[in-house]
Amino acid sequence: MSKPTLLLIDDEERILRSLRMLFFSGYKVHMTTDPHEAIRMLRDERVHVIVSDQRMPVMQGSELLRLAREASPATMRILLTGYSDLDASIASVNEGEVFRYLMKPWDAEEVKKVVADAAAIAEASFAVQLHEVQLHTEVPVDMAGAKPRVLIIDHDESIAKTVHETLGDRCEIIWAADAQHAMEELAKQDVSVVVSDLMLGATNVGYILKTIKQLNPQTQCIVVTSFNDTSRLIELINQAQITRFLPKPVSKGILVRNLESMLERFHALRNQPALQNRQTVAPISDPQEKIQAGNFLGMLGRLRAKMGA
Amino acid sequence: MHQATQTGKEIFSLVNTVDAISPDCPLEDVAAFFTHPKYSKLLSLPVVEEGRPVGMISRYRFMDIYLKRYARELHGKRPIRKFIDGKPLLVELDQPLAVAARHVLANMQFPLTEDFIVTRHGRYLGVGFVMDLLHAMEQQMLANTMELEQANAQLKSSQLALVQSEKMASLGQMVAGIAHEINTPLGYVQNNVAMGQELFQQVQSMIAGYEALVDDLLDEQATEEQIAARMQQIVEKRADVNAQEMLGEMQGLMGDSLYGIAQISELVLNLKNFSRMDAAATEAVNLNECITSALNIGRNVLKDKVEVIKELGDIPKISCAPSQLNQVFLNLFTNAAQAMEGQGKLHIKTWFADGAVHISVADNGKGIPEEILTRIFDPFFTTKPVGEGTGLGLAITHQIIQKHGGEIHVDSRVGEGACFHIKLPIAPAIVPHQRAVLEAVA
Repeated sequence: MSKPTLLLIDDEERILRSLRMLFFSGYKVHMTTDPHEAIRMLRDERVHVIVSDQRMPVMQGSELLRLAREASPATMRILLTGYSDLDASIASVNEGEVFRYLMKPWDAEEVKKVVADAAAIAEASFAVQLHEVQLHTEVPVDMAGAKPRVLIIDHDESIAKTVHETLGDRCEIIWAADAQHAMEELAKQDVSVVVSDLMLGATNVGYILKTIKQLNPQTQCIVVTSFNDTSRLIELINQAQITRFLPKPVSKGILVRNLESMLERFHALRNQPALQNRQTVAPISDPQEKIQAGNFLGMLGRLRAKMGA
Repeated sequence: MHQATQTGKEIFSLVNTVDAISPDCPLEDVAAFFTHPKYSKLLSLPVVEEGRPVGMISRYRFMDIYLKRYARELHGKRPIRKFIDGKPLLVELDQPLAVAARHVLANMQFPLTEDFIVTRHGRYLGVGFVMDLLHAMEQQMLANTMELEQANAQLKSSQLALVQSEKMASLGQMVAGIAHEINTPLGYVQNNVAMGQELFQQVQSMIAGYEALVDDLLDEQATEEQIAARMQQIVEKRADVNAQEMLGEMQGLMGDSLYGIAQISELVLNLKNFSRMDAAATEAVNLNECITSALNIGRNVLKDKVEVIKELGDIPKISCAPSQLNQVFLNLFTNAAQAMEGQGKLHIKTWFADGAVHISVADNGKGIPEEILTRIFDPFFTTKPVGEGTGLGLAITHQIIQKHGGEIHVDSRVGEGACFHIKLPIAPAIVPHQRAVLEAVA
């Protein structure tokens, strides 16, 4: 296999030179300070991984990655930024759909590993001609067979009600008001889409999303919350690959539109298992959450064994 | 609050239970009452009929009648009813003290000749002395004053806390901005050093290979095979690492790293200049320096969207608290940046005229509507969403300028921008009444 291609964008040339040195032995490295040129490069050449800065004078990184998604859907997108503001991280989820959100200053070994993983995943994506798959998902999902299951994890019933009113005839909607109930539902059967708040009272349920994504990469996670802690959100991008982050209160239209597109995404991934790796998650980093995830997995195993028996 | 809980009790403590006299009581008997020790403290005797007070007879009035010639013979047997003041001073038991005092003061006669009657639901209860009432009133005023003083102290301390929190909020924003800005040079410097270390090891091992080869070549005992093996090792290493190219590249990265470290130093220096923690609180400073320092600190907010035009004139140093004026300028600059939708211009001008330094800060942002123009310096007035602004930024700015004996004015048109004009005298007259709050600002 020839060397994978890596495209680096940053308004600081010294960052580009430094990263080129880090990658030049294993990759064909392109770099530019101009986001528009980056888009041209993506169109002209097969690029496996794009690594972009967030704050640039011409264009925000999240916006560039959104354009990159259109120009070359199979290319894996990574944000590398020194600024951790909430708006940027939300945009990187909803618009950029980034594979990883990395912080400056970075750990060289970690960045190398992330880029290597991303390059391998991109290679597999190119093989299944992602373009066609994505176009295919634009048409309404064929609902033949089992109805897709949507799990709503939220203290408040209002979101579950809204979803039930609009998608109730096409999907099976389950509402869990607490972590225990959510875990039981997830143990019973896989779900297509999880719509979850982050805080149920004082309980942070981020670990549930992270664990689900480890078990079922095709399950799509939408976070709807008024809890806005940027570092928690970045963790959820990297460790749960949440595909949408919607601040509460969320309008019915936005919620339903995003939910529908995530149902389509679920079907696309189910039909093309090679693409599931695109949402591979990083290991859970928080020690407390590691324990919670371990307990959840244990419970899941017991429940599934019981049901199987 | 105080009065409500005390209602009834306050008046009750003033009541002297005194047997009232009947209106039918003859005048000559009243003379006996007045001389009785039981009534010695009373200025007047209460007259009550069927439980209800019908009047008062004062010593003064009594003397007036009784000391006239033949009065005893003429009036001695006549009932007191004929002589009493039919409009006695009445105080209901459950009236608040202040209301009772007001009523008594408004209706009492000078010289003081009468006491007042205390009633409960209109029925006679006893007699109260005006002096006691005034004394009780004074006590209550004293207590109220203390309460007010306490409330005032609480207000002052919460005001200080708010000013402090505004200061912390702007400081926090600033520190976060600088920290982020440091992350970029820190990112490549750290990466370059880490790669340099790795390259260093590779080059070290190559040099070791070359040295071993040279040693072998110089060693007459070394065999051809031994030398060939050494050379093979070196060839393999050279295939792995293109040392020449890598070293050339690394030389460039070392230059970058030095540049990055200089940038980090500059950012840290900016922070230090801005806070001036190590400088005297008051010193002679050229305000152009303060403006430059605030611009450096605010760069992270300004750089992407604001074109800064500086017209800094030749101005004398003024005696001031530079850390406070830095805060003023940063506040004006960031406000201007926030007022801009998209790209904008910030025009900063300084000049010297009429014994004062003038500074104008003009932006071409969305401007300030006329109806709020007079309120923008008011504490807690903000147009930002809840949680984003404390509404104290410009209020503190105003106070700092006032404390320096200066003035600040604003001129704005909606859609055209806003211009703040500051005038600071060279030798400020410290305005003393602003001290309390400004101590927290300093």
